[in-house]
Amino acid sequence: MAELTARQPLSLAAVPEEKQEPLLRRVLRCKECYLLILPTFVLVLLFNYYPAVSALYHSLFDWNGANFKQFSGFSNFINLAKDDIFWLAVGNMVKLTVAGVLISLTFPLIAASLIFHLRDLKMAYFYRVLFVIPLVVPGVVVLMIWRSIYSPNIGLLNQLLKAVGLGMWARPWLGDFKLALAAVIFIGFPWVAGISTLIYLAGFQAIPVELLDAAAIDGASVWARFWRVEIPLILSQIKLIVILTIIGSFQGFTTIFIMTNGGPGMTTMVPGLYLYRNAMYYSKMGYACAIGTVIFIITLILTYLNTRYLKSSVEFVGV
Amino acid sequence: MSRTLKHDFPIHLILALAAILTFYPFVFMIISSFKTSPQFIHNFWGIAWPPTLANYSDAWKRVSGYVMNSVLVSTASMVGVLFISSITAFVFGRYNFPGREFFFFAILALLMIPGVLTLVPAFLLIKSFGLLNTYWALILPYVSGGQILAIFILRSFIASLPEELFESARIDGARTWDLYAKITLPLSTPILVTIAIMNVLGTWNDYIWPLVTIPDGRRWTISVGIVSFGSQYGGLENWGPMFAGYVIASLPLIILFMFTMRYFIAGLTSGAIKA
Repeated sequence: MAELTARQPLSLAAVPEEKQEPLLRRVLRCKECYLLILPTFVLVLLFNYYPAVSALYHSLFDWNGANFKQFSGFSNFINLAKDDIFWLAVGNMVKLTVAGVLISLTFPLIAASLIFHLRDLKMAYFYRVLFVIPLVVPGVVVLMIWRSIYSPNIGLLNQLLKAVGLGMWARPWLGDFKLALAAVIFIGFPWVAGISTLIYLAGFQAIPVELLDAAAIDGASVWARFWRVEIPLILSQIKLIVILTIIGSFQGFTTIFIMTNGGPGMTTMVPGLYLYRNAMYYSKMGYACAIGTVIFIITLILTYLNTRYLKSSVEFVGV
Repeated sequence: MSRTLKHDFPIHLILALAAILTFYPFVFMIISSFKTSPQFIHNFWGIAWPPTLANYSDAWKRVSGYVMNSVLVSTASMVGVLFISSITAFVFGRYNFPGREFFFFAILALLMIPGVLTLVPAFLLIKSFGLLNTYWALILPYVSGGQILAIFILRSFIASLPEELFESARIDGARTWDLYAKITLPLSTPILVTIAIMNVLGTWNDYIWPLVTIPDGRRWTISVGIVSFGSQYGGLENWGPMFAGYVIASLPLIILFMFTMRYFIAGLTSGAIKA
């Protein structure tokens, strides 16, 4: 997220900048400033910076979180590289991420595009509000509802299959070795009620009307206008959603935790949940920190690549 | 058929189908929450008449404590985030002091640090403070983490306020605190409401952190409580009270949404505006 750190010109500074003034004098002149930002920094040093540094540091230790701590170099990482469960978890994470990105690039985009092309603006507003409402239902409640949908005996999905005469397909979806991960991916179908739809819609609405009019006058078909005018102009929204989806599926494990807890067996294990188990069940805190470090580094690299890659395509379109 | 409707009709068909598929599970939950167990089994798809309210009184006994805990934790965290982040954003947005860029970058850099990385050491830190099983175990990290994005959003807004306002107030003898409390805060109200809502949504939905730091069931927040509650009832196939509990858990946020809909949508799309 390079643009987040970009310096923004601040011409409105209360204290006029005088380059000749000695540093100490300038510091003293605004000593109130330092006092006022102190609470923020006390909190982030304690609850954000200290734990982050501690995690990176302790990834190099054999540590149970209490009375045993021994420096072990990179052995946690070497063990991770040999750990079949960890690789299984990484594989699942990749599958979930790819599926998440594919979903976020299709269903919400189509929904937003359809809402944007409604001529009746009142109905467009209606759909926009309608698709926000599910976001207000607590995430955990949504997951529990889906757990009930997949329930083996009287779950909605199995009942539906029985009602249409496909009872032989009924199964305990989340307990199925082959289908559990797919069932997790399917949560939220048809995936239109999400932040992605809102973000895409905001992107569509920011397209200058003149451009769409010009395309219409030039006789562009709806299809051509969508691919040649609208998609290039909402690329920054697409980029944002791809980044958010990747980061979200790399770091979050609440969904897997609640839906399958990694099961059946280890078939739906993900790195976040494996970290949690190592820390909370096996007291392998150093090993858990190493997993956290790996997730952190992968996220950093992917965010960087994503920003670089998609930024250049935006510039290309702009030329 | 009017031209608008003729143009919109196929779009309506697709969107309506998507809406039905999206909402059916929620509608099913609400309908089922008014059924007794026999009604649920023998009349799975239909609406039971008369509706029973017993599920709700049953679920309320089990879930109300969690709702209260969450209301308390989310409100306290939200107030803390608004207070601290608005002061810091005010300083970053209106004053030029040595190290400002460095300090601001130190806040921004935290956006890159994932929660899973800090989970273990943060848990051990809370434990060493003796704060496990207290509301502080949730509120303090929520305020600390929640202020980061809030400072980022608020700072650019506060920096864009016209300097003349502050200058004339200063000439009238206003002090730093007056500039913050009497000019900056009133002008930032809409964006503060948006931040407040996003913050409540985040803390209300958080699951892993309270699960780790609050072993005692009496202090559970709604997320942890509802999973435990749902697993017990769902396991017994006693779905009426289970669904009633889910409805109760959802109501506070839905009520908040009804009163602040505009800010809600603004908050959810604020990510797009940044990009």
